[in-house]
Amino acid sequence: MRKELWFVIGGLVLFGALFVAERTLNRYILHILVLMGIYSIATVSLNLTNGYTGLFSLGHAAFMAIGAYTSTLLTFPVSLREAYELPRLPWFLGGPDASWPFFPALLVGGALASCAALLVGAPVLRLRGHYLSVASLGFMVIVVTFAKTLKNITRGPMGISAIPLYTNLYWTFLWLLITVYVVWRIVHSRFGRAMMAIRDDETVAQVLGIYPMKYKLFSFAVGAFFAGVAGGLYAHFTKAIRPFEFSFAMTFQIVVMLIVGGMGTMSGPIVGAVLLLTLRYALKPLEEHLRLYGFIELVYALLLILVMLWKPEGLMGRKRTALRERKEEKAWAEFSIPR
Amino acid sequence: MLSLSYFLQQSMNGVILGCIYALLALGMTVVYGILRLINFAHGALITLGAFCVYFVFFRLGFPFVASIFLVLGFGGLMGLILDFVAYRKLRGGPEVALLITSLGFYTFIENFTKLLVSPQPYAFKTPAFLATLYRTPFLTFRIVDIFIILSSLAIMLSFHFFVKRTKMGIAMRATSENLEIANLMGIEVNRVISVAFVLGSAIAAFTGFLWGAKYGQISYDMGFLTGVKAFVAVVVGGVGSVPGAMLGGFVLGLAEILSIAFLPTRFAEYRDGIVFAILILVLLVRPSGIMGMKEEVRV
Amino acid sequence: MLKLERVTVKYGVIPAVWELNLEVREGQIVALLGANGAGKTTTLKTIVGVLRPASGRIFYNGRDITMLPAPQRVRMGICLVPEGRGIFNRLTVRENLLLGAYHRKDQEEVLKDLEEVYRLFPRLKEREDQIAGTLSGGEQQMLAIGRGLMSRPRLMLLDEPSLGLAPLIVRELYALIRNIRENGVTILLVEQSAPMAIGIADYVYVLETGVVKISGTPEEVESLEEVKKVYLGG
Repeated sequence: MRKELWFVIGGLVLFGALFVAERTLNRYILHILVLMGIYSIATVSLNLTNGYTGLFSLGHAAFMAIGAYTSTLLTFPVSLREAYELPRLPWFLGGPDASWPFFPALLVGGALASCAALLVGAPVLRLRGHYLSVASLGFMVIVVTFAKTLKNITRGPMGISAIPLYTNLYWTFLWLLITVYVVWRIVHSRFGRAMMAIRDDETVAQVLGIYPMKYKLFSFAVGAFFAGVAGGLYAHFTKAIRPFEFSFAMTFQIVVMLIVGGMGTMSGPIVGAVLLLTLRYALKPLEEHLRLYGFIELVYALLLILVMLWKPEGLMGRKRTALRERKEEKAWAEFSIPR
Repeated sequence: MLSLSYFLQQSMNGVILGCIYALLALGMTVVYGILRLINFAHGALITLGAFCVYFVFFRLGFPFVASIFLVLGFGGLMGLILDFVAYRKLRGGPEVALLITSLGFYTFIENFTKLLVSPQPYAFKTPAFLATLYRTPFLTFRIVDIFIILSSLAIMLSFHFFVKRTKMGIAMRATSENLEIANLMGIEVNRVISVAFVLGSAIAAFTGFLWGAKYGQISYDMGFLTGVKAFVAVVVGGVGSVPGAMLGGFVLGLAEILSIAFLPTRFAEYRDGIVFAILILVLLVRPSGIMGMKEEVRV
Repeated sequence: MLKLERVTVKYGVIPAVWELNLEVREGQIVALLGANGAGKTTTLKTIVGVLRPASGRIFYNGRDITMLPAPQRVRMGICLVPEGRGIFNRLTVRENLLLGAYHRKDQEEVLKDLEEVYRLFPRLKEREDQIAGTLSGGEQQMLAIGRGLMSRPRLMLLDEPSLGLAPLIVRELYALIRNIRENGVTILLVEQSAPMAIGIADYVYVLETGVVKISGTPEEVESLEEVKKVYLGG
């Protein structure tokens, strides 16, 4: 209970700080702050699956796309739908004259992403480690393909613009707070311990009576929910979305944030998101002035490589001492010794 | 529309795409067999190879054969560098760490290429002597189509021979089955791995040229999906099996082309989706692939 | 020929072998006995270079090989026939045998040795192009030993060769081991089942939880009460 109190106090302090920030900082910096919040949500939610449950998914952008498109379609103003060739809502979503308020639209976006996660997860999560990565990457390609081809709903490759600007500093950080709280609660519960047991050794976990599929699906669905919310926030912040935005480049960014910050840590994802976005906006003038397109991604990739080779546990992570060396590692240890 | 010649024409296109996937899959399956590494960076080699030929052959005017040898050498060198810089340090680490690192290297190379060349795609002319068009009642083709099929078959056969008959090839298969025992036999495992990287990468770079010559356009990001699809071919054919990788490549190439050829045109944009749908299907129905042996769980 | 001086091997922080002293003289058959988990396999893997000792030294023909990598030791004539055979199941019998001679450059000699191995094990000749995974347990053990011989070893380490084999085949196997020694190969034999091993050995070590408990000539060891009780079933 004491910990919850800290969350409330921390939240109040945060919102106080945000209030001050909004009054004092310029719009560019505020813009970056909101993006930091959104990416933090995405990274924290990715951490639940990739970091705590050991399911290395590369399909996070797909869930963000689902959330972004869903919430956009729900909230899009009725009067503009005609002009932007967007369909009106069917009766079960409130009928042709309805458009939804922001908060429930985000929830539905997240929920739909969750449903997609359950649907895809049921077959895909049975796969071992890196097969899952490739399959989830495939899932992302499929989602982007749908976004491109279902033209009556998504307007195809040109995307949707004139999305109402609902996302602001407070919404973003409220959701970040919720995400962190939920992830923190899960990680410190029986559920979280089961998830981490699965990550560390699935066979042992099974022997302990843990049924892995249940926990994998759960963490995948919860992660997808917040990814969907992050997608919705993103759409209502940038005011325009196009299918190709939610492809590998976005997943890669979030993965780099997570790895650099430290998988399986509470603070790592946020540190990673803040650090990498800071880097991005610090390098942006350089990239634009020198026309070095791709320079920022190059730096991201370099950072990822450096971290993987020299500090694989990430900036915030502590070196984990393996209790049981894997047989393979023992065999390899031989070859790694410099000669 | 559903005439014989249309079917033949599309089948040929499918076989050509299949050749490209199969060539890439060769290198991937060997590396995967030993290291359990899904080498995303393999895709980047296609891009590098294509641009290498573009600059050496078209811009600098090297003779064709020299350019081909140059691109093979360049690809091999890049493979060696990747092995030394990227993966040697991670031997024995978790599979996922290898995968992430290879993603990092892929993105690094992709954006490096983007910086060097430009974000715009380049037009890649088919070399003149390969561009001649032939029409027959059933099939219209260019010499380049024949060139791709023949050179791919030649490479595949020699690779198959290499793996089956040569000492290094046998050592490679032994290493991928059991690393520790291979080491006990006096096989220098690191050298075997380097050879696998060099050969696979050289072939991949050459494939980049084939791609450019066939499709007429190259770009800095051409390697990503192609590389991932090549891995799909590896999985479809059976992980770690060389004949499987070739078969998987052809299955995938034909499935991709024929499905868009015979589905209504509005489905054309689903071609990438179809490939991954096949992947997920195969992983569920027959995870060991068409020709693969059951993979022992390595604990 | 081979000498281990106070060798300690650890898995992580847990020692599997503790300050082990062991010596094998040229032309001997030395038996290393012990229960499951006593550290026998660890010892062999350390000798051949797959594991590295935390401390201590290993000498081979007077040369310190403690830090040499496994492939180099194979080239010096040390060869391990691993426990559970450790053959390559997906390769053919012939390929398995040729891999035994991987480090050798003298191709003609290798082919001669191949014929020699086939003469020794006619069964292998019959199954030359068969996938090794399809052989019976006894044949697989023959293949493993044959593969070991292909490296022209001077010191052969046999890790529980009789494991899982029918008694009749075990007897055949031991005759073979003797035969190999006659041909000038020194042998370090690891076994759990003692009587046969003691019968063949020139010198015996008994390991218990990573420490040499008893050592001596077969006669000395056999006469000890505790060996009788624990290892000889009497």
